[in-house]
Amino acid sequence: MTEPAIKVKGLSYWYGNLQAVKNIDFEVFPGEILGFLGPNGAGKSTTIKVLTGQLRPMGGAAQILGFKIGAEDPELQAQIGVCFEEKNLYLEMSALENLDFFASLFGIKNANSLEALRRVGLADRAKDRVSSFSKGMRQRLMISRAFINKPKVLFLDEPTDGLDPVTAKEIRKTIKEEAARGAAILLTTHNMFEADELSDRVAFINEGEIVALNTAENLKLKYGKRSVRVRLRDGDDVREEHIPLDGGGSSARLAALAASPDLLTIHTEEATLESIFIRLTGRGLAG
Amino acid sequence: MSLQRVWSLFRKDFALGPRKPFFLFAVVMPVALTLIFQVAFGSLFEPKPRLGIVDEGGSEITAAVRRMEGVTLALLDDTGELKRRVQNNDLDAGLVLPPGFDAAVRAGQRPKLEFYIGGESLASNRIILSVTAIDLIRGVAGLEAPVTVETVRFGEAGLPVAIRLVPLIVFYALVLAGVWITGSSLVEEKEKSTLAALLVTPARLNEVYASKWLLGFVFASFMAAATLFLNRAFGPRPLDVLAVILVAAALNAMLGLLVGVLSKSSTTLFTLIKGAGIFLFAPVIFYLFPDWPQWIARIFPLYWIIEPIWQVSVMGEPLARVWFELAVAVAITAALVPAIMLVERRMKA
Repeated sequence: MTEPAIKVKGLSYWYGNLQAVKNIDFEVFPGEILGFLGPNGAGKSTTIKVLTGQLRPMGGAAQILGFKIGAEDPELQAQIGVCFEEKNLYLEMSALENLDFFASLFGIKNANSLEALRRVGLADRAKDRVSSFSKGMRQRLMISRAFINKPKVLFLDEPTDGLDPVTAKEIRKTIKEEAARGAAILLTTHNMFEADELSDRVAFINEGEIVALNTAENLKLKYGKRSVRVRLRDGDDVREEHIPLDGGGSSARLAALAASPDLLTIHTEEATLESIFIRLTGRGLAG
Repeated sequence: MSLQRVWSLFRKDFALGPRKPFFLFAVVMPVALTLIFQVAFGSLFEPKPRLGIVDEGGSEITAAVRRMEGVTLALLDDTGELKRRVQNNDLDAGLVLPPGFDAAVRAGQRPKLEFYIGGESLASNRIILSVTAIDLIRGVAGLEAPVTVETVRFGEAGLPVAIRLVPLIVFYALVLAGVWITGSSLVEEKEKSTLAALLVTPARLNEVYASKWLLGFVFASFMAAATLFLNRAFGPRPLDVLAVILVAAALNAMLGLLVGVLSKSSTTLFTLIKGAGIFLFAPVIFYLFPDWPQWIARIFPLYWIIEPIWQVSVMGEPLARVWFELAVAVAITAALVPAIMLVERRMKA
């Protein structure tokens, strides 16, 4: 069986008296995208900071590619890529200079930075200063920087946050390509659609704890309620009826409505990740 | 520690330098100060009156002017050249001594004397040169001065203010380039979170610190050398001066690193440097006021770099004269390394 690229056991972190990450366990395998879904302040970014060496773990243990975290080992750092939530680029440098510089820190002699920029649609702005870039362009450059060393493990912290739908779609496509290449990806987001679209598995994190971890499909099957929404003419109005698909007479009722001359439409309804998150935690993803 | 990564980090900072306002500030300010001080004090205190003479007959006046310490003499062959140089303010005044001038004066013939005054010359210089010329002619004629002038000097003989200001300007260049550039470069990486981006690569914190120190060291060395050059204070031993500058730059860059590690934001950095300003600049004040007890200056750490700069560049002393001061400066620099590591550990905790 393939060894996990990221292996986390009982990881904890405190900011003073506040425990931001509470004894969490998870694994991410090569080629897999694990979506960390949770609202702001849930502990997603702190987990990434601990795993990437920005914060020292205060409890538990974690291994990345067999290296124990917290040892500040350049050999490990050479194999990871990080896309921060904050756009921490060198604004006075051009896009090309940014990539060339970071490539040099990885010891990459002839980094094909221009090709990397082409991949995220920035080749024509390669020599422009980053200070002149829009938010979306900066985010694409952040993604490109995270990929410059062809990492085996990628940490992507809210990679499409605040982007327009077109740019977000392009970035998601690039992330999928990296996973297809074999990179293990830990992706944090509070966007349920992104988590659903990108992730092979989803972890719900709330107040520092992982409350559920499974494929999106299994989570929906386990926690969601399937139902059918039927719209019927009611005089001059339209009325809706929701019929849960849970047996217990629902089939008979559905058959009766389907035969009704007032029937307008029938739609199946699937639980969303957000509705499951709310059900499990009692709070929404936006908060 | 990877030297290759330190070099990459240094090159990045060096390339970014000219694109940042505070970097330009560190270059412009010492140059501006040099110009301001030279205009304000240099022309008032330093240059001697400049007299040009075209001596067509081997006058005693020329020999007498040559013996004077207070007048700069330029001997010229041609009256046209003399007039041109006076007009261009290369000379304050010009004197044409025709053949047989001394003999004619002694014979009481009152010969004609051409004396040109530069329109842009200082009034004080014109007066000095006019009175000097009349006095010398009177001497040639064998006449006694109508009064006896006895000169009484009050206070110690000292160096001109323009010279005394050299340590201040050099020090300013060193602090701006060494302390300010090093510290602000590191703090900027913290504020803009680019430090976090660096530290998720194989680059380690000690490599980032080493590159920042190197940046401050190179820049401070260059700015101190340039400032000394602009102030014509490189002295007779340029290699000795260079050695002293390198030690001074190393110490300043290390101090810059310390304040950079201590500061989480530019505001803290400003406050620290402003707060420590008097502590940093105190030794320089003693060069401006030589009557003060000079031993007090030794209390301040940067005395140990400014004294060697003063002695070697301004006073023209050899390196051997300041070996002790330099050794103390190197020791302070070395002691700051564990201090920075300790501060870093405390800040992390």
